[in-house]
Amino acid sequence: MLRLENVSVTFNAGTPNEVKALQNLSLFVEDGEFITVIGSNGAGKSTLFNVISGAVQADSGRIELDGKDISYSPEFRRSHDIGRVFQDPRLGTCPGLTIRENLSLAAIHGRNVGLRRDVKKAEEAWFFERLQHQHLGLEHRLDADVALLSGGQRQAITLVMATLTKPKLLLLDEHTAALDPNAAEQVVALTTELAEADDLCVVMITHSMQQACELGDRVIMMNRGRIEFEISGEERKNLKPADLIDRFHSLQDGTELSDAQLLS
Amino acid sequence: MAINSSAAEPQQARDSGMMRSFLLRGIVLALVIAAFMRFGNVNIGAIGQGLGYALAGVTVFITFRVLGFVDLTVDGAFPIGGAVCAVLIFGGVRAEIAILAAFVAGSLTGLATALIDIVFKIEGLLASIIVITGAYTVTLHIMGGKSNVPLLGKETMISRHSKDFRNWLVEQFGDQMRRQSTNLLEIMIFGLLVIVILVILYWFLRTEVGLAIRATGKNDQMVRATGLNHHLMIIIGLMVANGLAALAGSMVVQQFGFADVSLGFGLIIRGLAAVIIGEVLLRPRTIGQMLIAAAGGMLVFDISRAWIFSALDLPTTDIQLVSALVVLAALGAPRLFDQWRSYRQRQN
Ligand SMILES: Nc1ncnc2c1ncn2[C@@H]1O[C@H](COP(=O)(O)OP(=O)(O)O)[C@@H](O)[C@H]1O
Ligand SMILES: [Mg+2]
Repeated sequence: MLRLENVSVTFNAGTPNEVKALQNLSLFVEDGEFITVIGSNGAGKSTLFNVISGAVQADSGRIELDGKDISYSPEFRRSHDIGRVFQDPRLGTCPGLTIRENLSLAAIHGRNVGLRRDVKKAEEAWFFERLQHQHLGLEHRLDADVALLSGGQRQAITLVMATLTKPKLLLLDEHTAALDPNAAEQVVALTTELAEADDLCVVMITHSMQQACELGDRVIMMNRGRIEFEISGEERKNLKPADLIDRFHSLQDGTELSDAQLLS
Repeated sequence: MAINSSAAEPQQARDSGMMRSFLLRGIVLALVIAAFMRFGNVNIGAIGQGLGYALAGVTVFITFRVLGFVDLTVDGAFPIGGAVCAVLIFGGVRAEIAILAAFVAGSLTGLATALIDIVFKIEGLLASIIVITGAYTVTLHIMGGKSNVPLLGKETMISRHSKDFRNWLVEQFGDQMRRQSTNLLEIMIFGLLVIVILVILYWFLRTEVGLAIRATGKNDQMVRATGLNHHLMIIIGLMVANGLAALAGSMVVQQFGFADVSLGFGLIIRGLAAVIIGEVLLRPRTIGQMLIAAAGGMLVFDISRAWIFSALDLPTTDIQLVSALVVLAALGAPRLFDQWRSYRQRQN
């Protein structure tokens, strides 16, 4: 489904602030696969998503989605096939517009905008059903301003919007990190439900070792713009958060050491 | 459960409640203004003038509030619209066609700002100053190198009916109405035109394109995420907004009976004041109410200014200073009030 070949991204190249956010990274994601990505702050996880979605252009390398080379297509065009949910609940929905208007905007996905009415009677049943699945009662508040909703509610709406028109790929960037534990649990449940219902291909960044072990088929650990290791198959099935934390820390010590060496 | 919502709200009831309070505020405001004009000795010509400029207030509403784009282009689009309209009417073209042509010219001015912003990544404030600066020369060229085009004796939307209307008015209400006939005619024709255009705009902002434009101002990241080109929305938004400014310019030119290259001077500030006056006095909630508030704010602005002029008996040379002070009052008063309130809260 998704293939990255030797993708590199460098910010502020040639200045003292140069950051090699992605270094010759290659990744292959199969149809219907659910991958979790972990890694310390600044490892390049978000940059990986940005380069896949087109928010950041790769300096070199090639990105393929469903057999098509998308390396140079603009962000808004890639969005037809890629749904995204961010850590900040405010990013995924539009305050000042109602839930219905937000969903209508998401429903335009993949279609040219025209002078048709913005919210359509015909779509109401569809929205109602999608929201009903969440058991949050939001289907009765279609005309409420999104700005009035809690972070968890907004994140739930964002998930529904991102999956409304069945994208090929769903990118989740720590989308439960800003929520309280209860809300996070609900959003995770909603995520797996939506992913299974539409057999979506999902890549999910998380800082929770628990989530990384419980969700998906494969864990990827990123460090300094590279994939440090991945765990799949039998090993992944038996993986415990404690194991992951051990491997995570052994790696972190390594980087700290090399940081110290670099500075000396 | 943490993210479960409370019981469904009676949305319908809230909507109509909002609608009623907006209407109520509008009526109270209209009565207060009427009293002001009656006892402050303000000529009703101020209403006609406010209606002529009203759409420029809507321009600022669309750019600043809907698109979240700091755009000063209105200062350039307005005189360009006036110039195009005046030159066409001077050449014998029908006023309605001249108004449409002005709209197109204003849209192109907005397009220039949008493209400078998007292509060169120069932010709106600077991009629009560049456009205004260039627009000055464009306006002069449109007017054939002259800084002023008189429309004396030409057929405008106003002058076309003025004789018939005056005769009818005098016949019905007596000779004392003769002096006010042009003012009344302006109010009727411009009032109708402004209403028609607000209705079209209301429809437009509630189409798919309109929704995408509204969303662009709030969260362009999301607009891209839903597969829409947010740059295109900025382009369309600025074109429509500045087309309206030029349309206002073409109306004012017909009212004044001449076009002048400096007609748009300081208009952006008046537009901003109009938007804020409308927001403070009418507290609009829906997009339709906001459109009405922006246009209404311009009316209130022009009437207040006219009142200050007549109360202090000022010469017309002072007009820009008075404008600046009224704008300062409109922008400053709400802020002072907020400061005072938070001071009071800290005291308690
Ligand atoms: N737009 C940007 N400009 C400059 N540096 C950036 C930008 N985006 C990310 N970076 C840098 O790239 C590195 C990787 O960032 P990011 O991908 O956000 O890490 P993560 O999501 O894994 O925490 C960091 O050092 C970050 O400071
Ligand atoms: Mg990140």
